[in-house]
Amino acid sequence: MGLGRDQFAFRGCASYIVGLISLMVKVPEFLDTVVLFQDLDAQTLSTLMPLLIPKKIKAGEMIFRELDDSDALYVVEQGQVVVSKHVSGEMEIVLTRFYPGDFFGEMGLFDSAPRSASAHAELDTILWRLDREVFHQILSNYPEIAARICYRLVTVFIQRLRATNDQAREAIRWGLEATGYSLSGDPTPFGRKST
Amino acid sequence: MADPAKLELLTRTPGEPGFKVHEVQSSQAYLLFKPARLPETEWELTRQPRSLDGSRNYILRSLRRDRYLLLGPKEYFLWQQFDGRHSLAEIGRAFHFEFGSFDYSIIRQFMAKLYSAGLLEEFEASGLHRSLADRQGRFWARALNTVLKARDRVSIRLTDADRYCSIIYNRGGFLLFHPLTFAASVALMVSAIIAVIHLAPQAKNIAMRLAALPLLSSSVIVATIVAVSMLHVLVHALACKAYRRKVREMGFFLLQGIVPTFYADVTDIFMSSRRARVIVDLAGPMVEVVCGSVAFIGAYWSAPGIGQSLLFGAGILLWESAVLNIYPFNFLEMDGYNILVDLLAMPALRQQALALFPTLPRRLRHGPRLERSEWIQLGYLGLCFFSVLAYLIAHLDALGLRMPAWSRS
Repeated sequence: MGLGRDQFAFRGCASYIVGLISLMVKVPEFLDTVVLFQDLDAQTLSTLMPLLIPKKIKAGEMIFRELDDSDALYVVEQGQVVVSKHVSGEMEIVLTRFYPGDFFGEMGLFDSAPRSASAHAELDTILWRLDREVFHQILSNYPEIAARICYRLVTVFIQRLRATNDQAREAIRWGLEATGYSLSGDPTPFGRKST
Repeated sequence: MADPAKLELLTRTPGEPGFKVHEVQSSQAYLLFKPARLPETEWELTRQPRSLDGSRNYILRSLRRDRYLLLGPKEYFLWQQFDGRHSLAEIGRAFHFEFGSFDYSIIRQFMAKLYSAGLLEEFEASGLHRSLADRQGRFWARALNTVLKARDRVSIRLTDADRYCSIIYNRGGFLLFHPLTFAASVALMVSAIIAVIHLAPQAKNIAMRLAALPLLSSSVIVATIVAVSMLHVLVHALACKAYRRKVREMGFFLLQGIVPTFYADVTDIFMSSRRARVIVDLAGPMVEVVCGSVAFIGAYWSAPGIGQSLLFGAGILLWESAVLNIYPFNFLEMDGYNILVDLLAMPALRQQALALFPTLPRRLRHGPRLERSEWIQLGYLGLCFFSVLAYLIAHLDALGLRMPAWSRS
């Protein structure tokens, strides 16, 4: 379905205004180091900048909890974030950590399912939040930018999937070692074969 | 060896801000791990007679996986401790108090055995565990595994042998274990000895008649040996049924990876008495004795000719086979060996002796002194060695005597 003339005119106008604003916005240096935005030039970054919401979190505070509504991605500018998942009782397993330049919570951009893990600030942290609605606006209004971001997202998804496999292997190795479990026991089982 | 695996755990105190992160190494968790054996409904434990050195072994059977484990005194102690209430650190201390020394590898090896037999509470081993175990194996271990698998392919197994044996036993097989049958067998054997004494002067003629028809003689003798071997293992299995124990499987395999033979897996007889085991062991060779006796008596009543020669030849081979079966000192785990280990109450005599041998020079130089059971193992090895040597010398001698005859022809 094509765009109506009025809609087209409105969208063009909006883009023009955002473009003008972006020229006035100073892009923080850290955005250059964010993998997600690696393929974007300075002008595009300045276009994106107004769409990100800064947030300061103190060490020990929770950013989101497992099973919370999921509706945004976070980029770490400063500090350290630990992501964990509930195991049993009051115990959670640490899945990973994020440092300046990393991003997390990306599942919330595509999927409205509850958060699969909890995120806490391990140090005083500054985050930039990209809401799902805003991301969907970018998808519609700036398909070229969206394509570049999505390409980077997929690349990072793949890396994280590999890391998850390694983590699963380590968790299993831990279990095997902690319980003395072995499949190599009893190479010559006891028995009597009468011949 | 890889570093111990680590897990990071995050905990929060309810009502308080913040959290704590704890790093836990698998080795720390291992010491706190409380191994728990399965409930008693899942296994069966039988105490074995005391061996000559005063120690006692136990046979532990996993009912779930139908696996058997031989437990020495130390393993039995550990088995008792694996009640889910004691940590491995506590068990280690208790073991040290009991036996005066301790090495965690003893626990690791024993736990591996128990996991393998499905006797410890465990989490399910996923395909990933297996693939990891496969991948991390060394080249030689994988090569050995391949060879063992190839060897296994040579074997043929009848896994529901117990059902067939039960049917045969209930439909007349039980008569084999009646005292009258035993008395009849002894009478038959005595008659056969008399027959052999009468036929002995004709032995040379009998041998010449067999040599004149080598293809027929060989075929009949081989067929007889194969048929009697099958009957032999069937009678072992029926003897096991006579004690109401299970025949796990029957089939054909390479004994000790070398000697092709039929077998009946009668491991379950370990859950019965020592007498039962000895009777099961003796039942097999009795088949050769009885069949050989019948052959000798048949030869005695036959007119001189190829028929008489074949019967006499078969009788000799079957009796010789019975003697070889009963003789324990040949490095093979045949019926005589089984009887010997039952009488000594040392079920793993051969394996222990072979394991002791390479360490012997170091043990003799630096101690500790050999224990009584180790002297028995050495005695077994020595007798095996000299028996095999004597057998080879006797046969080389026979070969040597024949050589000039061949060269002359």
